[in-house]
Amino acid sequence: MISRLILGPMRPGMEALRPVLYRIAYAWSHDPALADDLVQETLSKAWSQRAQLRDEQALKPWMVAIMNRCWLDHLRSRRDFDDVDDFDDVLESSVDTPEQHCDREKVIACVRAAVARLPLGQRQVLTLVDLEEFGYAEVAGILDIPVGTVMSRLSRARTALRELVKQAMSQPAVPVLRRVK
Amino acid sequence: MNQSVSDETLHAFVDGELDVAESEKLIAQMRDNEALTQRVCNLRSLKSMVQVAYALPPQARHAGSRDRDGRARRLMQRCAYACLMLAVGLGVGWSLRGLDAPDRLASWDGSEVVSLAVKPDPRRVVLHIDSGSPEKMLDVLERAESYLNQAEEQGRAMQLEVLANSRGLNLLRAGYSPYAERIAKMRQRHANLQFIACNQSVARFASEGEDVVLLPAARTAPTAIGEIVTRLQQGWTYVRI
Repeated sequence: MISRLILGPMRPGMEALRPVLYRIAYAWSHDPALADDLVQETLSKAWSQRAQLRDEQALKPWMVAIMNRCWLDHLRSRRDFDDVDDFDDVLESSVDTPEQHCDREKVIACVRAAVARLPLGQRQVLTLVDLEEFGYAEVAGILDIPVGTVMSRLSRARTALRELVKQAMSQPAVPVLRRVK
Repeated sequence: MNQSVSDETLHAFVDGELDVAESEKLIAQMRDNEALTQRVCNLRSLKSMVQVAYALPPQARHAGSRDRDGRARRLMQRCAYACLMLAVGLGVGWSLRGLDAPDRLASWDGSEVVSLAVKPDPRRVVLHIDSGSPEKMLDVLERAESYLNQAEEQGRAMQLEVLANSRGLNLLRAGYSPYAERIAKMRQRHANLQFIACNQSVARFASEGEDVVLLPAARTAPTAIGEIVTRLQQGWTYVRI
């Protein structure tokens, strides 16, 4: 513990997680600037709270859990949610619909738009499991929710995502205008 | 639709949450149940789509600087991409260096192996083919079977993807693949084996006036490089044939 405080050996390890944290933050917020802010805040809090980390092997889930708290604080400050605990059932309606993107056959944009339409709680679980391949128990620890909730949110997220992507894919493509001499 | 196996169980299967006995039981059920296999395939493709969608998230603009026409952002994305490629290149050197250990060398047959992990993970492997040579096509199938059989004998779970792009796409094209029957049999036998065609290559063939019909066993990924980068980031081992 003393050597850790003096030498600060975890700093490079924390910095190395920046791309991972950014990818998760972006998948949660779909806002590059906000994702960047969340990562900065997380790194800074993780550094100041480093003495609380007992197992250095668990650095990644520990830092993602910190980022989750930063994210919840951000949502509370936006006042969009009276009760953050209910946010699992709230749909983000301000983003483009997947259809708007899929017309342009941009699969990546289409999936991002579909993920952005998922309720926030489901989006968090889905991205942690699919992007970072966290185990269900790890996700439960990070988000501070029961494992059963992780499984049910994941199941609902994938069912909804499949429907959103399917709907988007079945939309007729925008006809391409061709120049005729 | 077959609902004898719950969605939650299938999610746990594709997420690697089931233990070996449960996985084997499900794999046995999948052999006789096409609808069940299809549900697993759908889940896997959905998972892959999410992974590809966030493999290279857009970077935030630096505070105070103005990105007038998006060129700076595109440049940054290209730089990020180049860095990734550099990381892959460095990974080659690093992993080849790590292949000095005799057991590793034996299991990878001296192939060009890339892994961002300290040790290449034999449980999750992407075999990449971009050549139309029938010898290489045979080689990729032989290796896939050998890795899968090895895992089965040792009783360990394994996920394996055969990824084809460029001229290697012919391996997965109906009417062109010299091994269509073998691929169908392999796919039937190994539920943990995926054949993936690069959609960009499909589009390129199509733009050249060729009619591309893929084998029923194949599914597509938006780009081969995207699939490779995503898998490497997830700790998979990349083997180029």
